[in-house]
Amino acid sequence: MTKLLFSRNDVYRYLTVLLAVLVFLIFLALPFAMAVLWSLVDPSHPWAYPAVLPPVLSLRRWAEIWTTSALPQALYNSYALAACVSAVTLLLAVPTAYAFGRMEFTGKSTAQMMTLIPLIIPGFVSAIFFSALLIQLGVYSRFAGIVIGHTVSLLPYAIRLLTVSFTMVRQDLVDAARDLGASPLTVFRTAYLPVLKPGLLASLIIVFILSIEEFAISYIVGAPDFVTVPTILYSYLGYNFIRPNAAVVSLILVVPNVVLMLIAERLLKSADPAVVTGKG
Amino acid sequence: MALMANALAVERASLRYGKFQALKDVTFSASQGQLITLLGPSGCGKTTLLKAIAGFMPLDSGRIDIFGRDMQGVPPEKRDTAMCFQSYALFPHLSVADNIGFGLRQRRLSAAEIATRVSSVAEQVGLSLQLQKLPGQLSGGQQQRVALARAMAVRPGVMLFDEPLSNLDAKLRDHVRMEIRALQREHGFTAVYVTHDQSEALAMSDLVIVMRAGVIEQMGRPEEIYRHPVNRFVADFIGTANIMPVRILSRDQARGEYHVTCPLGQAVIRSATPPVGDHLYACWRPEDTVVATDSGNDNRFTFKVSARTFLGSLCDLSVSPTEDASVCYRIQTHGSTPVSEGQTVDVVIPPDTIRFLDEAIA
Repeated sequence: MTKLLFSRNDVYRYLTVLLAVLVFLIFLALPFAMAVLWSLVDPSHPWAYPAVLPPVLSLRRWAEIWTTSALPQALYNSYALAACVSAVTLLLAVPTAYAFGRMEFTGKSTAQMMTLIPLIIPGFVSAIFFSALLIQLGVYSRFAGIVIGHTVSLLPYAIRLLTVSFTMVRQDLVDAARDLGASPLTVFRTAYLPVLKPGLLASLIIVFILSIEEFAISYIVGAPDFVTVPTILYSYLGYNFIRPNAAVVSLILVVPNVVLMLIAERLLKSADPAVVTGKG
Repeated sequence: MALMANALAVERASLRYGKFQALKDVTFSASQGQLITLLGPSGCGKTTLLKAIAGFMPLDSGRIDIFGRDMQGVPPEKRDTAMCFQSYALFPHLSVADNIGFGLRQRRLSAAEIATRVSSVAEQVGLSLQLQKLPGQLSGGQQQRVALARAMAVRPGVMLFDEPLSNLDAKLRDHVRMEIRALQREHGFTAVYVTHDQSEALAMSDLVIVMRAGVIEQMGRPEEIYRHPVNRFVADFIGTANIMPVRILSRDQARGEYHVTCPLGQAVIRSATPPVGDHLYACWRPEDTVVATDSGNDNRFTFKVSARTFLGSLCDLSVSPTEDASVCYRIQTHGSTPVSEGQTVDVVIPPDTIRFLDEAIA
């Protein structure tokens, strides 16, 4: 009996993977490589039409932006905001997700739908009216305003992720721990935490990343002088468009996020259901 | 000295989920060292009752005492009970040793004490070599033992078993069943054992409680339940029973002898307890029948065999009275009895093996 090296299914599988890789290369890897090149273009030797590669490479753009723009302040603002936003979001999402994942009550599905609304409304639309509301409420701190805005718009992600985690907690393990005399804290550590941990870390990282990348709320609430990395980036794209400078800021914005995303991916993958739930 | 308090006393326990009455006026007690089974079909309230004893479900009314102490408002973690879960409920990220020692750590025993107890319990259930493994690396039978060991390690006053064998294959089930009974006898712990398997209940228990729809139908020693079921439900649920309506023709209460008519014709029933009325149900077990060898017996009937199942030492026959094919009874004969389908067979049902059920027909 002869055996085919590749079955028909295998061929389709490889074609699909190939397509995915190609799309990834064209739309993500290539622009990313271009961004790296553009950020290294020397200010006194512009990269113009006939040249395939920049004539002179240097780090002068990086140094220039760092020293002349508000980028250091923007970086500080972005990361401080993201840290606060992810902490507050998690604090609010955990009890909500507990209710959605572990309790039955009337109006639960409606409530679940409601928590997804921020996903549907465009950031700019809500931000415009949100900034007016903040002033009416007497919240004049831009930082606090943006924290509130980000928290509201990112809560759906954390709630969704954590609700799934909470539904994976096994009631019989909770019961068994209590039955054997465990305190509420031990019940949490034994029956809840191992299942929740990947979801907690993943939602923390995802909210952190999305907060750093968020533009609409930061721009409108922070206007005119509160800067974050995306608002700086925007300032390079509009009126005085300088592609090499935009490339530098883009990289500063994106690279840490890519690293964080890879970590989140790892954490979600480590949530091996067999280890966590004991069901193979 | 005052009477020793029962290990467990349940008094008029009632519980409902919305409109569904899960338990209604359930009363029973267990003395120290008894193994009690709660037996019944699914939805009869047996697991609810077990969870109420463990403290997971508060009663609507009635009370539960454990060693004389009212458990009203006492949470599961403060009760002197330990449960063996149907799903085993082992902590998947903890080793077998840590699972078994879990309850001991909550009781703040010293590390040395915990280690000694864990290894001794593990040895009793045959897990000494598996202590460092994770539950996921064990077979179903081994996981079941870990669950048992974990509950036993805390030496609870009352052990609660929630269908612990239902996920094991038949052979292993028999084996573990005997082991649980042996351990229970050896350590003298009081146990409440929930099952829907009547043979398990009969084989293991000191006391069987048959439940239906949240109510106790009958409570008694296994022999008693099997020999003297009180109604059609119990008779039918425990073993195989032939149940038939009978009408009393004449009664001789002094001798305990009653002449009746029934779908088989006229029959004699010998019973120490008198029937509850003139028209009621009676039952007899397939294995009590005897193939007639000579003439002139009481309760000798001729049946037509409609199906025959050879079981080795026994032969299971489905039979109907020759003049009425609409009723069907089960009888058992010796495996060597030469009968085949379509033939007739003469059978004697001894008068003292037919029991009146406490269930009159209106």
